[in-house]
Amino acid sequence: MVPVMTTTGGHEPVFCTIIPPHVLDTLSQTADRTLAAKARRTLEQDAFERTRRRLTTVLGAPALAPPGGAAEDKPIRTIHDARHRQDLPGKKVRGEDDKPGKDATVNRAYAGLGATFDLFVKAYRRNSINGEGLPLNATVHFGEEYNNAFWNGEQMVFGDGDGEIFLDFTIPVDVIGHELTHGVTQYTANLTYFGQPGALNEHFSDVFGSLIKQYTLGQGVGEADWLIGAGLLAPRVTGTALRSMKAPGTAYDDDVLGKDPQPATMDDFVRTGRDNGGVHINSGIPNHAFYLAATALGGHAWERAGQIWYDVLTGGGLDSRASFADFAALTLAQAQTSYGEGEELQAVTKAWEQVGVPAA
Amino acid sequence: MRIQVSRTGGFAGIERHAEVDTSGRPDAQEWHALADQAIAAGRGTPPIGVPDGFGYRITVDGRTVYCADPRLTEEQRKLISRVLKEGA
Repeated sequence: MVPVMTTTGGHEPVFCTIIPPHVLDTLSQTADRTLAAKARRTLEQDAFERTRRRLTTVLGAPALAPPGGAAEDKPIRTIHDARHRQDLPGKKVRGEDDKPGKDATVNRAYAGLGATFDLFVKAYRRNSINGEGLPLNATVHFGEEYNNAFWNGEQMVFGDGDGEIFLDFTIPVDVIGHELTHGVTQYTANLTYFGQPGALNEHFSDVFGSLIKQYTLGQGVGEADWLIGAGLLAPRVTGTALRSMKAPGTAYDDDVLGKDPQPATMDDFVRTGRDNGGVHINSGIPNHAFYLAATALGGHAWERAGQIWYDVLTGGGLDSRASFADFAALTLAQAQTSYGEGEELQAVTKAWEQVGVPAA
Repeated sequence: MRIQVSRTGGFAGIERHAEVDTSGRPDAQEWHALADQAIAAGRGTPPIGVPDGFGYRITVDGRTVYCADPRLTEEQRKLISRVLKEGA
């Protein structure tokens, strides 16, 4: 298959090393030959990684590209097992169309990737993360009792949780969807992961994470729980989920975890340097706006509200440094373009007003 | 030696803070070696890291550096893990 050159909007996937290249350059020229050799090898490895990362963005993963004639609506999933170490991707344990094995974590990751793929292809005609059939890779059992999951720029990574605070991160399908959506964002608006654009990045992951859960369960806006990470909290934790789009700030209140810090409106916007400027905190505000717009419209949230949100994320008009206000304005414009002056525009307008975001 | 670790970010966005004072500890030397190496490899400003990755602030006797998952050095990983597990 001929690799397709995709425009990446001028952005590059993140590969930030601790030692800056210019320091290694200097070291590689030093009189101490051992030191010089080590620096040179590091530079070569870094360059290799950067090139590989860039190629992955531009070309996808050509080695795993579907053979000519493969169906466009089928995912290509690979699950790896890190076996409690932190080396990625780990050992391949399940490939596309392999039968389920004994490891429930592997099977959940596999199913969750499929569910995410399904929503994007069926609701939005998007073929995988990059819209061009990018293979979906996940690693499970990362680290020891690792209380986290993340997207590393190329794949999803899941910890097992420690059983005290968090359970296995593959348990909630919205967590899987959340992580994969970081990939979609990376390939489209590529929102900078800091401050308001970072909170929007988080917001999109929560929105589509929630929509994947609702789509999988066939839920209307009234039946959905609008929670993120329900089922992730260990039994001893006082709380129902990690975040609530319906009522930000109410998901948990626990003696060890503390209280859900999310604001629902701009009045309570949190100014902090932590968490990349509070990206997991202030996402509560646009989350609540989406919840309000979707429930005002009724039916299935992925259909109109979700469509507007998807179109703005992928339409090319959303700047990587967009503020909440910039984004709000785009959703209004999109609602108008897609549906005219009717209830969709009204619902979206009212939602942003209610959370205190001016549509710039 | 006073070693403080703060962890922020992560999918849950939950913060953790812990500190260890190595004075009087039989394994103080080990801690000092880890701490020195962790500081040497750290950054002066918090790296953006990866989406939902943990970010860490390490302070050793008043000197502060930053690093983020998944690109920690082995010493940073060990130090952070021990402080968060054993620290107050």
